[in-house]
Amino acid sequence: MLSYVAKKVARAVITIWMAVTITFFLLRILPADPTLLVVEGDMTPEMQAALREQYGLDKPLLVQYGLYLGELLRGNLGVSFRQLVPVLDILLSRLPWTLLLAGSAFALTVLIGIPLGVYAAVGRGKLVDKVVQFLGVTSNALFVPSVAILLLVVFGAQLGWFPIGGAIDPRTRGAEAYASLLHHLALPLLSLALVQVGPYALTLRTNMLEVLGEDYIKSARSRGFTPRRTVWRHALRNAILPALTLMGLQLGTLIGGAVLTETIFAYPGVGRLIYEAVQQLDYPLLQGAFVLLAITVVAANLITDMVALALNPRIRS
Amino acid sequence: MKFGAAAVAAAMLALTGCALNEGEPSATGSSTDSAQEVTLRIGTTTDVSNYNPLQSLSKTDNWLLNATYPQLLRLDENAEKVPELASDYYYEDEGRTAVFELRDDFMWSDGTPVTAADVKFSAEAIMQYQLGNVAAKLTWLESIEAPDETTVKFHLSQAYAPFAEGLGFWMRIVPAHIFAEAGDLSEFANDSDWVGSGAYILESATPGQRYVLRANEHYPYAPEGGAAVDVVEYVVYPDINTMILALRNGDIDLMANPVPASAVGSLKSEDKIGLEKVASLGFAHVTYNVTREHLDKPEVRQALSMVVDTDSIITTIMQGDAQEMVGPISPIFGEFDNTGLDAYPYDPAGARALLEDNGYADADKDGFLDGLAFQMVCDQSNANLTRVAEVMRESAGEAGIRIDLACTERNTFLAATKAYDYDLDLSQWGVFDNPMDQLRSTYLSSNPGGINYNQVQDPELDALVNDAAATVDRDAFVKKIKAIDAYVHEQALLTPLYVEDFTFAYRSDRFTGFAPSPSDLLGMVTGYSLSQVTPVN
Repeated sequence: MLSYVAKKVARAVITIWMAVTITFFLLRILPADPTLLVVEGDMTPEMQAALREQYGLDKPLLVQYGLYLGELLRGNLGVSFRQLVPVLDILLSRLPWTLLLAGSAFALTVLIGIPLGVYAAVGRGKLVDKVVQFLGVTSNALFVPSVAILLLVVFGAQLGWFPIGGAIDPRTRGAEAYASLLHHLALPLLSLALVQVGPYALTLRTNMLEVLGEDYIKSARSRGFTPRRTVWRHALRNAILPALTLMGLQLGTLIGGAVLTETIFAYPGVGRLIYEAVQQLDYPLLQGAFVLLAITVVAANLITDMVALALNPRIRS
Repeated sequence: MKFGAAAVAAAMLALTGCALNEGEPSATGSSTDSAQEVTLRIGTTTDVSNYNPLQSLSKTDNWLLNATYPQLLRLDENAEKVPELASDYYYEDEGRTAVFELRDDFMWSDGTPVTAADVKFSAEAIMQYQLGNVAAKLTWLESIEAPDETTVKFHLSQAYAPFAEGLGFWMRIVPAHIFAEAGDLSEFANDSDWVGSGAYILESATPGQRYVLRANEHYPYAPEGGAAVDVVEYVVYPDINTMILALRNGDIDLMANPVPASAVGSLKSEDKIGLEKVASLGFAHVTYNVTREHLDKPEVRQALSMVVDTDSIITTIMQGDAQEMVGPISPIFGEFDNTGLDAYPYDPAGARALLEDNGYADADKDGFLDGLAFQMVCDQSNANLTRVAEVMRESAGEAGIRIDLACTERNTFLAATKAYDYDLDLSQWGVFDNPMDQLRSTYLSSNPGGINYNQVQDPELDALVNDAAATVDRDAFVKKIKAIDAYVHEQALLTPLYVEDFTFAYRSDRFTGFAPSPSDLLGMVTGYSLSQVTPVN
């Protein structure tokens, strides 16, 4: 078991290193120069050269990469080209918002998706199954920005039930501030959850159907366990294992979706920071954001692997 | 499972609770909505990326910092330079010394008077650290003198007619007693404890969310009794459509960004929303790379100018929200507007005839004149220009000229233009505050501003530009600028397309009295404009 854990951790570290390396070189092979975006118009070649030197872009690529990796290992993500402040400070001020949005979307998706999948499997062929399948496929086909704009127009602008963008009303304090936070969170959360819930429900349904046909389920029924206990205690425990992998993978999609959702809803998370940093070609900020998100996604996958390890005796053995 | 999810949500909320403190008044000193205060909420699309006003700034940075730090001169609604911190300016020593007389009633928000020493310090810091695009405007600066608290003299190595106007408009004045303590100003973030002397002083910043500015009670241009708006709050909406919804919903009172042409119609019909139109200080154009074969011939460039139907572009693509332009000088600078110039007529057949008269023929009968195939680059994010590119390609085809479009995302486009890797450059100038700077930067062989996108090396044009630059007499200067305008037009170094009108939207049921200035860099949100605003009822 220890070697399994060590292997998973090593793989996570390699994945993060690859993400760092690809991001570093990808940004630098772009046919664009960040110094051009700093001064539009009257920019002398001397000023451009000075900026390149200030940004460290005058050094050979491999030297830049070596310096970056060295600093990264010391926990230094560099200083933003445009904001002139440490990237880590900027990211840490935005990360809680993304964690709140993506984390609660993840929790909501699991809370809704799993029961839907279970009910659809138990009621196979009945109305509930057909409805879940229809909704699941529809959800799978939805595009985050389209859903976001629709929700914003209907529930924000037309009905006025929710605010148009933002994360909190700055005039609120204490409990009122938390209520305002949830009020602002509702629509972006719903946008992400609506798109994510379909795959969960359908995967769970398929897994449950498979498990419900297993001998040990039949045996549990014959031993007089209630259908409720059979389904929720015995079948679900086994059916959820493949869904765990999906959860880890879906977290990456959630983070990606957060870039678009945060932009449309003016939500102040890391996703929106990436959107702005791309426009400004702020390399250190982009690299830092990608490193942070890569670590988040890899860590989440590692956790799901560990949960699977705890739940599945076959992996342990 | 339910418990686990609830725990995750609770943990997230607790985590975000820490971030909430960013906007708490205890942390920022901000209290934006007490009963007595009038708050004006403005939508912006991007966060502030740099708070150092001596460096080059994005539009959003400019909006906030222009209100906080004064300029010597500001631009009024007619694109004329009028006094702000300076009460007057003039030249001595045959144009080699520019003198600014300062007002004596500007105060920094910490109670220190604004003096000539602050102006001297700001300019010297820009020179020492080569900060931003203002450094290029100080090329001929030899020394600065502050003989008394309200006089600053800039001694130049040679006369340069628009020196005072360019510097006066672009240079922000910073408090010497604060910035002198900051060390290397090229690395000074200036991201807290702002001390300004403009109409509104930045008070708190919550990146990703909002920026709060408070009225400066000492601002001398505010109406008697002080500005009616006590607090200006910029709220960030990265998506312009979300910002429009927020305006309609009343979450904000003004959009700092121009309204996209496609949304103007629907906003017009809303009685609570007012629209204000201002002209641009830039213009859309097609610039020809004269180092490329065939484009070095004026006749080919003239023929290309004849395949651009500017009337139709303004009517259909710009939906009437633009002005026609003939030479390289925008009509917004009324004094320099060369009304005697005639635009090249839209006449693809005539263009073809002109080319055939100059030896071009379609020997291979493919419909295009042999050798006349050009690549035109443009910025894909500018929807108007992308459509212009399509229209121009069609009409150029009628004239026997093949145009291949290379419209790419903005950063790629900028890289291509900076490398002069194009035949035709279809783009839009942002802001030119005076014609002389524009002509120097775009046409001098020495390419001092790095934006001679024609790559033209014309001694005659150089002589005209340099002669005008050194002319201090206003009438003679205007005459010389008009002569250059006519020369460039005749050479067809570029085909001007239009001067865009920007439309700004605000809640007219709540506020009135804005004093807009040309361009989206200034628009409705200059410190001066905001200080004139009054609430309705």
